[in-house]
Amino acid sequence: MENHLLNIGFALLLTGIMVNLYSLWWSTERLQNIIKGIFWLALLSLTVAIIVRIAATGRLPSASMYEFILIFTWAILCLFVITRQKFNSPVFDLLSNILVVLLLLAASFLPSETRPLMPALQSAWLHIHVLTAIIAYGSFAVAFCLAGVYLFQENNTATAELRRLDQLIYRLVVLGFVFLSLVIITGAIWAEQVWGNWWTWDPKETWSLVTWLVYAAYLHARRTYNWKGRKSAVMVIVGFVVVLITLFGVSLILPGLHSYI
Amino acid sequence: MNKQHPVKTIFPALTSMQTAIYLLILIALLSAVGTIIPQGEESRFYIQHYGQYPGTFITLLGLNHLYQVWWYQVLMGFLCLSLLLCSYQRLRRTCNLASTGSLILHLGMVVIIVGATWSLGYAKSVYLEINEGEAAFLKDYGLKEGYLQVKKFKVDYYPDHSPRQYYAHLSLQDYKGGNYEENIAVNHPLEAAGLKIYQTSWSWSMQADVIQDENKQQLSLQNGIAVPLPDNSSLEIKALFIPDYQEDGMGLQTKSPYPNNPRMLATLMKEGQIADMMVLAPGESQNLGGYTIVFQGFAPYTGLTIKEDRGVNMVFTGFALLSLGLLIRYRNLYRRKAA
Repeated sequence: MENHLLNIGFALLLTGIMVNLYSLWWSTERLQNIIKGIFWLALLSLTVAIIVRIAATGRLPSASMYEFILIFTWAILCLFVITRQKFNSPVFDLLSNILVVLLLLAASFLPSETRPLMPALQSAWLHIHVLTAIIAYGSFAVAFCLAGVYLFQENNTATAELRRLDQLIYRLVVLGFVFLSLVIITGAIWAEQVWGNWWTWDPKETWSLVTWLVYAAYLHARRTYNWKGRKSAVMVIVGFVVVLITLFGVSLILPGLHSYI
Repeated sequence: MNKQHPVKTIFPALTSMQTAIYLLILIALLSAVGTIIPQGEESRFYIQHYGQYPGTFITLLGLNHLYQVWWYQVLMGFLCLSLLLCSYQRLRRTCNLASTGSLILHLGMVVIIVGATWSLGYAKSVYLEINEGEAAFLKDYGLKEGYLQVKKFKVDYYPDHSPRQYYAHLSLQDYKGGNYEENIAVNHPLEAAGLKIYQTSWSWSMQADVIQDENKQQLSLQNGIAVPLPDNSSLEIKALFIPDYQEDGMGLQTKSPYPNNPRMLATLMKEGQIADMMVLAPGESQNLGGYTIVFQGFAPYTGLTIKEDRGVNMVFTGFALLSLGLLIRYRNLYRRKAA
């Protein structure tokens, strides 16, 4: 059931990419409504797939890389449809759609079987830590797509519209930054409960700190040097590359305490 | 020549936001480097892996224990100062709620770093292995006075025999006469008498008599750990515990993790090589390379981490300040039309 729903969602999003590509050249209100419908249906099928998994395991899907990608993708889709109410652009639709499809594709290569929670993961902190993580990284992901839109449309968009886009990116980064702070804090409190060490310079921990420092530098550069617009967008893209290293690169290359995810 | 006092040069630099940004980026880059270079290895490891000059360079700069090296700590100290000074200056220039939030969140970061440094210098952490039914005097391990007993140890398993949870029933008596009794588990440490006790590890311990001629030695053998025989330094005995032995000759595998049909696989090792090997049931005695081995009994032992660390409270206060500061700093972000 869960797989069927995920396949439906995946097929919808793939169709979405094709419609998006078409809409880059020839955009009508009807086409926009179709795209909107596709996103909502994909979000619905992903939501039901996650609910089915929660019902089967009795817990939040957060104990493996497969499960994390699933809820991370769901968070991106949620934040995307909310952001889309404020800023609508075929390039934004396309970039977000491609990102979500790539994530689901990556998940399809990972083992999806449910496994019982190991003792270290049996804590209410797991849910708080993971929920804050998907909001943080989801916000950075949507900000990254918008930064891509900024760079793509910079030369053929009105200044007021660009300023509005820049402001939206900033707000998403702030949301991500606040939640990333909470991810690090909840992770540290939890680690102290489990191992007696709130910080061990484990690669995942360290890279989450690196991510935090990069976005902190973005926020400070924006305020101090008035880094807005293009420079700001480039920094958001660099930030998201660091996010991808933190989430996936570290798990694939560097061993550590987060080896299960 | 106009030579300024170093403090007069450093101070304005630390109040500049530019310095803060450079420090943030520098610390981010260095922290990332620390995840790429393996930490805590001997110097010859780096020479073997990276070559003579890069390996020596790594150990010389302390990149092999980067997060503890003095200059990394100094950078953190500078960042602390810079954060505080910048936030204070901003508050002086524009005294509003957002600036106050900014000051609180930066103060939170400083409190976290100070707490962490305090822990680095003064916290005590000891790892102890205690058999079920046995006890330890904590003062013997450099901690404050106390008597810690492991009354019971239990592992719960899922149907697929993967561990669900580890429980240790502890009794702690402190020097003031306080008595604390609690069932601890992973994620549920015991917090009492200024100590925190964590369930960290476990395994089986086997009691065996080793007899040669008229000489009888009682040994407590931990699962998989070789112990030198007391009267012969070149010989070691290693015991493996098989909780649920399969009688059907399917090798030395266990049917389940439960001690339904326990056996001890005793191995006599000479200079790292196996000299003799024997499987014994409880109460059974066998000849192992000229020694008579009697398998007297078995019990689980638990590995406990015991911590004395006041820095953690400071760090958690820093977390609270940081969260509060962020909330105040960005409270209006989604209300206003433009920031």
